[in-house]
Amino acid sequence: MDLLIQIIFGLLSALIIGAAMMVVTVRNVIHAALWLIASFFGVAALYLTLEAEFIAVVQVLVYVGAISILVLFAIMLTRSSEGERLLTQHWWAAAIISLGLFGAVLLPTLVGHHWNLPLPTGPAGTPESLAGVEELGRGFVNEFLIQFEVAGILLTVALIGAIVIAFEERSRRRRVLTLSEEHILRQRQQATATAAQAALVTADAAD
Amino acid sequence: MDIPRGNIIVMDRRRGKLRVGQGLIQGLKVVWDHWAGSFHKNENFSQIHGTFTVEYPDERLPLPQTYRNMPVLLYDDESGHELCTGCYQCQRICPPQVIHITQAKDPVTGKMVPAATEFIIEYDACMSCGFCAEVCPFDSIKMDHVYELSTADRVSLTMRKAQLNRPISYYASIAPDLWAEVQAGAMKKLQGSIKRRPDVIGLAAVLTEKIKARRLELAAAAAAAPAAAAPAPAAPAAPAAKLTPEEKAAKLAAMKATNANKGVAAPPAKAPVELSPADAKAAKLAAIKAANAAKQAGAAAPPAEVPAELPPTDAKAAKLAAIKAANAAKKAAEQGNSE
Amino acid sequence: MQDVVNQVINTTFGWNWPSWAIALIGYLIVAVILFAIAPFQMLFLTLYERRAIARMQDRVGPNRVGPEGIFQPLADGVKIFTKEDIVPDAADHWVHFIAPCVVVAPTMFMFVVLPWGPGMVPVDLNIGLLFFFAISSVSAVGLLMAGWASSNKFALIGAMRAVAQMVSYEIPAVISLLALVLITGSLSIVDMISYQGGLFISSRDVASVPDWGLGWFIFTPVGFLAFVAFFIAALAEGERTPFDIPEADSEIVAGYMTEYSGMKFGLFYLAQYVLNFLLCAITSVIFFGGWQGPGVGWLYAQAITPVNPQGGWVFNVLAGVLGVVYFLSKTYFFFFVMVWIRGAFARLRIDQLMDFGWKFLIPLTLVNVISAAVWVALTKWGAADGLAFVEGWSPLVRWAVAFVVTLAMNLGAYLYLARIFAHSQAERERLDDEVLESLINVV
Repeated sequence: MDLLIQIIFGLLSALIIGAAMMVVTVRNVIHAALWLIASFFGVAALYLTLEAEFIAVVQVLVYVGAISILVLFAIMLTRSSEGERLLTQHWWAAAIISLGLFGAVLLPTLVGHHWNLPLPTGPAGTPESLAGVEELGRGFVNEFLIQFEVAGILLTVALIGAIVIAFEERSRRRRVLTLSEEHILRQRQQATATAAQAALVTADAAD
Repeated sequence: MDIPRGNIIVMDRRRGKLRVGQGLIQGLKVVWDHWAGSFHKNENFSQIHGTFTVEYPDERLPLPQTYRNMPVLLYDDESGHELCTGCYQCQRICPPQVIHITQAKDPVTGKMVPAATEFIIEYDACMSCGFCAEVCPFDSIKMDHVYELSTADRVSLTMRKAQLNRPISYYASIAPDLWAEVQAGAMKKLQGSIKRRPDVIGLAAVLTEKIKARRLELAAAAAAAPAAAAPAPAAPAAPAAKLTPEEKAAKLAAMKATNANKGVAAPPAKAPVELSPADAKAAKLAAIKAANAAKQAGAAAPPAEVPAELPPTDAKAAKLAAIKAANAAKKAAEQGNSE
Repeated sequence: MQDVVNQVINTTFGWNWPSWAIALIGYLIVAVILFAIAPFQMLFLTLYERRAIARMQDRVGPNRVGPEGIFQPLADGVKIFTKEDIVPDAADHWVHFIAPCVVVAPTMFMFVVLPWGPGMVPVDLNIGLLFFFAISSVSAVGLLMAGWASSNKFALIGAMRAVAQMVSYEIPAVISLLALVLITGSLSIVDMISYQGGLFISSRDVASVPDWGLGWFIFTPVGFLAFVAFFIAALAEGERTPFDIPEADSEIVAGYMTEYSGMKFGLFYLAQYVLNFLLCAITSVIFFGGWQGPGVGWLYAQAITPVNPQGGWVFNVLAGVLGVVYFLSKTYFFFFVMVWIRGAFARLRIDQLMDFGWKFLIPLTLVNVISAAVWVALTKWGAADGLAFVEGWSPLVRWAVAFVVTLAMNLGAYLYLARIFAHSQAERERLDDEVLESLINVV
């Protein structure tokens, strides 16, 4: 069983790393976004091997189902320079910066890690299920209430901001008329034109 | 099924004050009524629930008499004479121009005669407008009721005269009232055409036994008429009458013509003067008949049976032979006249 | 399945295979069965839909191929397999190629948590319901890929519409299920089914109710409102007719499927019908008890289960067959309702769809969640949870009070929201007229 898990872990890691590499190397932005989705999926599968089912499913629901769709929408709506490679002049600078950032994350982990520890021998019987829905829920409304609320308010503010930006007063909206509306419009125009004509005629007669 | 015309069917739209969501429920109710009612078959169109479907290959609706699909040519059942005189009216009016007619010619004089040697309708481009049937002065072209015309290729929808010929009795069976309206006029015109040119009116390619018998009868009558006056042509005519198949008629006619030629040339001027034209006319008729028969017999006409001095290998040659024979007969008749 | 495989391999043959091999074989067998079932469901549903919609339109429907047309889907399948696969020159070939797979794969995944009968669930995930909807949201990526890769404006518009619609209607669907998750206290689909034993009242709520397998959620006000909201959202997710905007053939050819032909198109079709089947199935499972029905519970109690190892295997088979019959008949009934709605209603406009989803359905389901909380409080809580006044009431009285209170809440919310919604729509039309007037006056 351990061997099987190792093999699956290796495959998933290869998928995640390969997809992540493709994200930064591929020229087409849409393709990069799609590779990003593949990477997210691999991460979700990795969570599953850790028996963190809820986190895995939420990863799929939020990242694959929502965030990536947002990314794709944003790219499709704003994209103007497809296929151009940015930072072609200073790729080495970018490489150094990203390596530095990666090292800043990796180094404390490597330093602080205790190697070659014996495996923890837990109590016999079925292990406690980690990160279940109930624990998460209790955590949100007890221990991490403030953070939860703040995150909620932040999202609400973002939502309201989006609405404010996107909102357009209806009276100012330029709208394409339907055929029937055009017909009505034309009818009324004709009616007003004939009325004006008639008024002119009567004015002439009065003179 | 009877279609009520002029009746107003008042449908219950269930109008009234609708609360929120009530209209949706009512819409569902209407569809449900149709679904529930669809398991019985409707008798007439005043019923609004139930199926009207006629499961076509298994069951068919009777077609109305005025239904029209594709044009066909009619011929007289008894004599086999086609009603068509090749007047080109249909070819002229045809909007997609799919009718092609070849006018028959008198093989002797080369003049047009009121018959069509070939009549082609391209069914694949025909639009079934029925103008040809409307315009036909001889009621020869009529709209058929057959609608299952699928073929694997386009060419087999180009219909020739042989495929277009239908007996009058067939048309009278599919559209009895329509035929009854025009029957008298059509038959009168046909008789007139036959009388004027008894043998040049085209014979239907779809030959029945009756038509064959009639043809033989005509041939015998034609042979018997000169036999009473001139014994020389009558002698070969008698054995010819025994040969029943039509391809032998070609041989018969050719032989008769040759004999007539010989008979007039060898014993000169024995025949009475007033008899000679009749003899010549009979010979000519026989030759034309031979030409027609040879045409219809096509390649099947055995070349060996044609006289030795005229050895043709195909129908055209046979025709040529017949025309030659007719010319000889004519010449003989002229000799007879001059004497 | 694994215990059966284990029995056969290790006990009958005595090969002593390791447990992971047994698990792998068991899952493989289940996967093969499911992958065989899914396309057959699709084939059956196409015929079913065509026959049913034909009847609603006073027709007969396809009945020539085989008795009553049962081989019509096979004929269609042969036709679609032999069609030429055309890829547009301007298309992004790889994405165009992968998109149908990305659309089909999630629908196959969703079978993982679907229970067919008592004890007949491929994997009983404890977050099954969430898994179901998380996976279904993946197909939106596939739709967007298909629309974008075709480099066709109709395809792109269709994909945008499809994704907007799916993302919008996932929210009411999940929130309406959240109400029931509150009541059952579990995200496992198997738990949700086992909660629905009883007779019009769940025997988990009131223990004295006999277990006839009829304690469905639909009989509670919370469940009923959740059902209505969920079914409407399911219609939108499955792109069924009042919401078939993404593939509105009179407007945008076939939406994201425009540039697909042959079996790739067939895969989209397969995904759509399998998704419809799954949505109907999940509706019947969550609101109508799935395999629950009179007799199944009793039969399953006699069967071989971990609880009752001395049972007879005949009862396993009987309970399974009866449960699957109940489950499938409910599922097909809901598919009939989908067809029925298709026969009755016209397509919505995209703004009407969005208005309805965001301004009516989501508030309604949010109210329903509060109702569910009230229901849980009134039926389950006691003095320890700070609800002392219910102490001393009998379970039936508590249930009745909860029923009346939640019914009043939901009915009030529905009528109020419907009025607001109708009012806002009327206001909107009035504003439209005003815009028209202003346009006319300018000219």
